[in-house]
Amino acid sequence: MNLSLNEVEGLAKRAARGAGHHWGPAEDAAKATRWLCLQGFDGAAALSAVLRQEFALRFDAHTPRDLGAPWRAHGQMCPLGAGMLLSDCSDHLGRGPIVLYDVAVPLLLLPFAGNAARRLQTNVTVVCDELSATTDGEVVDAPDLWPESATKVIVRIGGTPGKLRAKQTRALPAPAALAFLNTLAQRTYAPATEESRRLGAGAGLSDND
Amino acid sequence: MRVLTRRLARDNWRFSTPVFEIDEAGVGRAVYVAQGPERAYSLVAFAHDLPPEKRSDRVIADAWDATFTLFDGIPSEADLDRLSCNVPLQEAGRISETELSLSRANRSVRLWTHVVEALADGRQPDLEQIQKVGYLMRTTAVYGSGKFGAADRENTANRPETEGPFQAEMLSVFLTRAFVRDLVEHMARANGGSKAVKMAPDIARRLGIGNSTGLGMAPFLINHPVLLNNWIMAREEAIARVRSVQTATQEEISVFRSVFDRSQVSIGQWHSEHPIQERKLSALKADLGVIADFLRHDDLTGRRPWNRLVEWSETVLSEEGQELLLSLILEPYSDLVDGLSGCTADSSPHLYEIDGAMPLADVRQAIRDSFGWVLDLDWGAREACARVWYVSEEKLEPRLGERFDEPVAEYEQPLAPARDAAAAYSAMADWDTAATTAEFLLRHPEHRHTIRRAQISRKAPYSEIRDNTIGASVLPIDMLRAKLSFFGATHFDPRSDRWVRICMYSGAPYPEDLSPENADFWVYPEVPE
Repeated sequence: MNLSLNEVEGLAKRAARGAGHHWGPAEDAAKATRWLCLQGFDGAAALSAVLRQEFALRFDAHTPRDLGAPWRAHGQMCPLGAGMLLSDCSDHLGRGPIVLYDVAVPLLLLPFAGNAARRLQTNVTVVCDELSATTDGEVVDAPDLWPESATKVIVRIGGTPGKLRAKQTRALPAPAALAFLNTLAQRTYAPATEESRRLGAGAGLSDND
Repeated sequence: MRVLTRRLARDNWRFSTPVFEIDEAGVGRAVYVAQGPERAYSLVAFAHDLPPEKRSDRVIADAWDATFTLFDGIPSEADLDRLSCNVPLQEAGRISETELSLSRANRSVRLWTHVVEALADGRQPDLEQIQKVGYLMRTTAVYGSGKFGAADRENTANRPETEGPFQAEMLSVFLTRAFVRDLVEHMARANGGSKAVKMAPDIARRLGIGNSTGLGMAPFLINHPVLLNNWIMAREEAIARVRSVQTATQEEISVFRSVFDRSQVSIGQWHSEHPIQERKLSALKADLGVIADFLRHDDLTGRRPWNRLVEWSETVLSEEGQELLLSLILEPYSDLVDGLSGCTADSSPHLYEIDGAMPLADVRQAIRDSFGWVLDLDWGAREACARVWYVSEEKLEPRLGERFDEPVAEYEQPLAPARDAAAAYSAMADWDTAATTAEFLLRHPEHRHTIRRAQISRKAPYSEIRDNTIGASVLPIDMLRAKLSFFGATHFDPRSDRWVRICMYSGAPYPEDLSPENADFWVYPEVPE
């Protein structure tokens, strides 16, 4: 099934929240997922791979210990936590590359590198073991296939995009990822009761008039 | 609505009905095409035979009298067949990137029956009954922007006709009104045969399309802070421009006097059974007398007449009366204010990105600016946080629950910016004010959504609602009314504290009659001679 980008963003936000993230990070996860889909990646699958690891249960253990270089976490690095920090600290890239160790689903860093590029009005390159991607925030030159994790990721200013990925207007999530995100999103919905039906939405007068 | 009708008239849009396949029982499909200078859009309508017990405006309904989608272009037979399997199901179906909206409507049973019977019998319907209800059908949800598989707003946001917010949805309702008129005449013919007559144009023109709206609009306003800011800012700017006008010409004064007289007719036709709205309406009706009296003694000449009028209104009128007057003074000044409608879209997606380098001192200041009044509130008190916004599992409908009486707090949506601002502000108190936002958020991801809003508010000063959206006394209908008023809705009629009916396009020309002369002021009914 293909989804509108708005649908994928809404689903991603609810799924990230359902996985235990706070609303703010869930919003960032949603924007990042949408950006990946716009660039022709399966953003839903990338987010799903991150959420399966349940980083939200101990988020501080999976985000950089501090802002000093390089960025290491106590456990494996959550790309959402690291990505938000990368986007927030885009000015740090002006002082030199940021190096991150032991990163899960490094593809999910790309949208945040895109935010940094846009903020700095320059290109930013993400080097992930053997792969690299360059973006100015609007377009990206990046390979299709990304590893499940990377021992070392370098993010730096510069790079020249070669072959730009074609932008998409629809998302085509893998069925398993879509199902998993829906399961997580379900956790954010309160079970309906007759009372909430009656009171919660405030109807009461007849509509058959 | 008026932004749309002005454009359709100015650019000479053409309208046609290439398909009207409705049987004698009122079941079938129709296509209404609006052809503009560059593109066409088509309302695809499905008419159904709905048993009365299924007629509900609530989002939990699963069948309607009519269902619609706005197609981007002109649909083929195959498109219509695909849509016929999905649009009647609404949320349970799927539409695609060629569709821009999805909506449904139910009949006003009493008026529908009356109009069909009268026309079938060769008579015109009773004006009093028409006036009392105002519409033959009311829409409920009108979904757009990628919902249920529809095209994302980004697909059409760069087109002149859909750049403004909700223009596709407004077009779908404008065409829906024409369909409803045609359908009621069709049913009259089916019942009355050769005896049946068409509706007189002046009666048809009075009929709008109703809309019945629940809580969903309230979260929308909170979740779109930049859009809300842009709407309020456009109106404030328009008011400021007109208040700055040094002297008014006789023609401008006469336009103002005319719309004031005509607005009295409109307000006279405005009814509500809701106690709060009844009180507001009676205050407004009293204000009309006060304004009329003022205008009998003041010829609006002299320096800055509109500013003088507004300052006077603040000393004698209710809030309803003051707001009415502020809207009316804009009317003589199309050249000063109409262009501001081009500033109402949210075209700054990157405002949502957090500036991590911003010192906490600046973030705290932004919170004080928007929420200074809540920082000392006792947020532990029941009345301060009595309510919870949540989403029900059933049809994913937003609801408002009682925090202390229902087990819904764990499902709370982030729709309490005032409370969350107070919490973030307090968390920042122990931090060095020179510390950066990035440092703070690394340790406090729970405040990320609030910091984002605070930073947005520095560039968008009207982005936050200055009220407690989870307080015991919150009235969601106030948020609904704010949004609906920007659409140009009239006859706001609350059915409860969180559920309203309104009227759209009442008085507007039908597509085939639209011209630059009648495209703008139709919202004000003519004064009876």
